[in-house]
Amino acid sequence: MLAYVVKRILSLIPVLFVVTLVIFFIIHITPGDPAATILGLEASPQDIQQLSHELGLDKPIQEQYVHWLSNVLQGDLGDSIFMKQPVLQAIQEHMGPTLSLAILAQLFALILSIPFGVIAAYKRGTFTDVTLMGLSLVGTAIPSFLLGLFFMLVIGVRLEWLPVAGYEPLSAGLWTHLRYLILPGLSLGIIQAALITRMTRSSMLEVLNLNFIKTARAKGLKEKKVLLKHAFRNAFLPILTIVGQTFGSLVTGAVVVESIFTIPGLGQLILNSIVRRDFAVIQGVVLVVTLIVIGINLLIDLLYGAVDPRVRLDRK
Amino acid sequence: MTRKKFGWFAGVLALATVLSACSSNSNNANTTAPTGSSAAPTETAQSQTYKDTLNIAVTAQPPTLDTAITVSAITFDIAGNIFEQLYTLNANYEPVPQLAKSVETSSDGLTYTFPLREGVKFHNGKELTAEDVVASMNRWLTTNSRAKQLLPNAKFEEVDKYTVKLTVEKATSDVLLLISSHAQFPSILPKESIESATADGIKDYIGTGPYKFKEWKQDQSITLEKFDDYQGVTAEPSGYSGAKLAPTKTLTFQFVSDASTRIAGIKTGKYDVAASIPSESYDELASNSSIQLQTYPGGALTAFLNTSDGLLSTNDKYRQAILAALNDEEISIASYVKPELYSLAPGFMNPNQTRWATDVGKDFYNQANQEKAKQLLQEAGYNGQEITLLTTKDYAEMYTATLVIQEQLTKVGFKVKVDNYDFPTFLETKGDRSKWDLFVASTGYQLTPPQILAVNPDWAGLNNETVKKGVVGIREAASPEEAKKQWETVQQALYETGSATVLSHYNSVIATAKSIEGFQIQDSLIVWNAKVPE
Repeated sequence: MLAYVVKRILSLIPVLFVVTLVIFFIIHITPGDPAATILGLEASPQDIQQLSHELGLDKPIQEQYVHWLSNVLQGDLGDSIFMKQPVLQAIQEHMGPTLSLAILAQLFALILSIPFGVIAAYKRGTFTDVTLMGLSLVGTAIPSFLLGLFFMLVIGVRLEWLPVAGYEPLSAGLWTHLRYLILPGLSLGIIQAALITRMTRSSMLEVLNLNFIKTARAKGLKEKKVLLKHAFRNAFLPILTIVGQTFGSLVTGAVVVESIFTIPGLGQLILNSIVRRDFAVIQGVVLVVTLIVIGINLLIDLLYGAVDPRVRLDRK
Repeated sequence: MTRKKFGWFAGVLALATVLSACSSNSNNANTTAPTGSSAAPTETAQSQTYKDTLNIAVTAQPPTLDTAITVSAITFDIAGNIFEQLYTLNANYEPVPQLAKSVETSSDGLTYTFPLREGVKFHNGKELTAEDVVASMNRWLTTNSRAKQLLPNAKFEEVDKYTVKLTVEKATSDVLLLISSHAQFPSILPKESIESATADGIKDYIGTGPYKFKEWKQDQSITLEKFDDYQGVTAEPSGYSGAKLAPTKTLTFQFVSDASTRIAGIKTGKYDVAASIPSESYDELASNSSIQLQTYPGGALTAFLNTSDGLLSTNDKYRQAILAALNDEEISIASYVKPELYSLAPGFMNPNQTRWATDVGKDFYNQANQEKAKQLLQEAGYNGQEITLLTTKDYAEMYTATLVIQEQLTKVGFKVKVDNYDFPTFLETKGDRSKWDLFVASTGYQLTPPQILAVNPDWAGLNNETVKKGVVGIREAASPEEAKKQWETVQQALYETGSATVLSHYNSVIATAKSIEGFQIQDSLIVWNAKVPE
């Protein structure tokens, strides 16, 4: 297993190198001068030129890349030209809100999707199945920002049960922290739940038709035990894959929801950095996000072994 | 059984939706939309208690709080509470002393001597003296683009511990105004803070204002705290001048880029002030009895025509044809939705600044004369060359105005293309004059005509002798009347050359809690006397 992990980590090196190359050049050939963006509409061409020079943006692009890459290899992702702080520090500060939101959203998604998926499979072809699948279809179709605005309007503005926007760190108290994350968490979680529900249902259906389930039932096992212990465990591998993928997208892709609910997470950081043309931050965040996605995939691969002994990696 | 459970679940969902609809705020009380300040703080009963924190939702995070190196209006909104100037502007846009006691001008108009108020403390406890003023003002003179352009080679010197002297190269009528200006204002900081500043700006936000800098949470908020040792002036508050009472302990400026979130926040009381309310939400908020909408002249929506490159630069008649074709009423209603949120007037300056308000050029303004436009096009020998309108969807009013202009120009025979980019790309493309023929921009008001973008040759490329001479004439005029005459010449030249035209003057909309007291708007949010009852 250790050898497998080492092999996977080594295989990251060329991937990350390509990522640095692609992201650096895409960002730098995208129109939009950071100096002009910082100085705003009223700035004169002379001021823009002077700031570009001070920021080193007038140097040849390959020289800028080599300089940036050599710093990255030493653990320095550079400094944000807008926030005037190290990129690594900015990412660390924005990572906490995103992780909290992703965990809560995933929790909502799992609480909703696993029972719904199992029930839909068990009640295949019934009214319950059709209704749950219909709901999951709606959930897949609704954009998260629309759901977010709906929750904000109904639960935040009309009912005033939860804050409409903002963020408080965990240090302000668990409930205070959660209060600000429930609405965005629901907005993201419901969308993810729709996807996981459908996957759970189809995976369960496949397993429920297999012979060992018939055997279990013939042995006289209780239906609950057949479903949860025998069927669900065997159906869990594809579900785990989709859970891993959705968690990866939650960590990296909650851009719009973070923006609507003004949560200072990675999504908002990258969105603001694109608007500000803060090259160093965009490059740094993309690099870190790539690492996170690869890390999650690796973790899921390792979890396969824990869930299904047939795919344990140390087996010959 | 399962169906029953599902039915119960669906019932709860439906009930929640109905309840939420029923609990909506159905108050339809008449809404006032005052301009200027809300009720004065002294009018409230003494037994009333007030919130400790004022939450202000602004549209974006400012790039810096260093007022000398940015044009960001949000910077001035926030920094105005931390820093003060030698002179500032009252509600009539007149310079009045702030950290200075007065000013004495030499007979040749080249030297200004400012005695300073004594006993004024910085937030770090140090007393303000002449060395701090000299360091701060000289940094502003050498780093601020407007100061460099309008006060070249000017210099501050220390006369004694509490007196400074400014020497300028040329005697002009606007020196004190420039120093007093709130846009890109010269903040006074301790000498040490100035010395430790880099090209990125100052590192320590230490001023003499009624609030001191407490915390900057990146992409979240900036928090200011009341400065207990504040030594201000005692005059009645007026514009940026007068007493600053700081009745609220903490000011929190929250960065809320999404307009619907700002609106939701002001409705629920999360924010006490919400800036930049979109026109389309005006009626919705106006019908809410707990919210007060305040409008103030935000600036001029202006069209800039290319006079140095491309088809329009080849013949004045092309530009005149465009001015003849424009129907500013149509453009403005499309851009601002409600007639009370804009006004039509040809002047480039703030109509509230009577010193500069003029309707010179009105014959060229809002002509909506398609026949004349067609005639001018014919005279210019137009044969279907395409012109490019540059715009950005990031500013809805600029984009909408551009689309209406496209339609109006197409109707008179122009072949028109719209290039729409995000704002950073728009800014970069604007810098390359070969890539556009016309663009529309929302431009904030300037204090004096030489500062407006339309007369700045570096900005939109106008190279006109009458305008250049007029700008110098305004600054060197012996009297306000003569300066205004010069300005009228310049405005007339801008319209005659067709290098720029005002489309309309827009009102910015701010929403506040109805109960807020002491809140003021000039060109910026003034919250140092604001408080909200609990």
